[in-house]
Amino acid sequence: MIVIDYKDTRPIYEQIVERFKTLILKGAMQSDEQMPSVRNLAMELSINPNTIQKAYAELERQGFIYTVKGRGSFVSGDSGLVDQRKREYMGKILLLVEEVLEIGMSKAELIREIEML
Amino acid sequence: MIEIHSLTKSFEKIKAVDEVSVTIKDNIVFGLIGTNGAGKSTVLRMISGVLKPDSGTVTVDHMPVYDNVEAKKQLFFIADEPYFFANSNARAMERYYSGVYENFDRKEFYRYLESFNLDKGRKINTYSKGMKKQLALLLGICAHTKYLLCDETFDGLDPVMRQGVKSILAKEMEERGLTPVIASHNLRELEDICDHVGLLHKGGVLLSRDLEDMKCNIQKIQCVFASVEEELKALSGMEVLKKEQRGSLRTFTVRSTREEVAARFATVDTVFYEVLPLSLEEIFISETEVVGYDIKKLILG
Repeated sequence: MIVIDYKDTRPIYEQIVERFKTLILKGAMQSDEQMPSVRNLAMELSINPNTIQKAYAELERQGFIYTVKGRGSFVSGDSGLVDQRKREYMGKILLLVEEVLEIGMSKAELIREIEML
Repeated sequence: MIEIHSLTKSFEKIKAVDEVSVTIKDNIVFGLIGTNGAGKSTVLRMISGVLKPDSGTVTVDHMPVYDNVEAKKQLFFIADEPYFFANSNARAMERYYSGVYENFDRKEFYRYLESFNLDKGRKINTYSKGMKKQLALLLGICAHTKYLLCDETFDGLDPVMRQGVKSILAKEMEERGLTPVIASHNLRELEDICDHVGLLHKGGVLLSRDLEDMKCNIQKIQCVFASVEEELKALSGMEVLKKEQRGSLRTFTVRSTREEVAARFATVDTVFYEVLPLSLEEIFISETEVVGYDIKKLILG
């Protein structure tokens, strides 16, 4: 389910957060689906369970999952998350667009490239 | 919680441990890092109640350790060169430890032996060095003590075994609140699993910090400023730990959070700007260079 890239310089818990966010936003995990337990995930990935706790706390803080005491964590049913992600990506895309226009690409060229996707 | 206050120990003329004070909280992975001869084993042996400190105190859950059975019941110490009874096999060692540690889980032990392919009937003196370490680890884990003190235990294991052991430690931490204390001279090995790191050097503690804390509060920035004024504006009020320049390219290591740096550099005119990741070694060097110690040995080791 989750793969850790040790060569990636980002902290492990950030990678876990990112991967779960992607799974959730792409629909690979459904609303109210149960998240793997901290114990199982820590064992599967051979990492410190405190790291997983941290990742889950962050996912909860960002609204991607919710926790039911004694039962575990579950995926949120919030469709607003996809919109949030769209806005995040849009922000990054616009920054890159600015840069590519700055080094000489024309808007027309850029639009042509997008239409060919 | 294990609390160490001003622990000192000398062997004849050599001061192996010099006024060491450290607190090891419950249910975290505590990494004790240091070069060879820094005092790690000596500290672990004093925590185990095997060595008596010259001065200072060691308490385990508020109980002084030395010669105290109640305190020692909470600990299992795995030496860097594990000792086994002469001519014994894994079964015999299990019988011994089961007698000493009342919570020893025999079923679990034999299950692990099988999954790690260790023959319980075979004489341990025919095991390879790595296999002996594996056996020692399994005995320690199955003793089900609150604290597991590992002296350079990971350093002799193959990568597959290492992952296997980490997985077991994760399980034990979650299921019964185990607190592993791992001594090593290999930073990279511990970087991924430790919550808290204590750095020992020549018998003294150079730092004892939460790992995430350390990582969050040091940033490395590489940039080219539009002008000298912009550079001064960017750096004013910042604690710069290290500064390098090559032509107009500047590389700074500063004590700050990612957010603070981003906010500050948003107002500064730069031709080029990027935040670089810091390895744990770099963080350690930055933290201790201030004190003037040379710990490059930890990188090569």
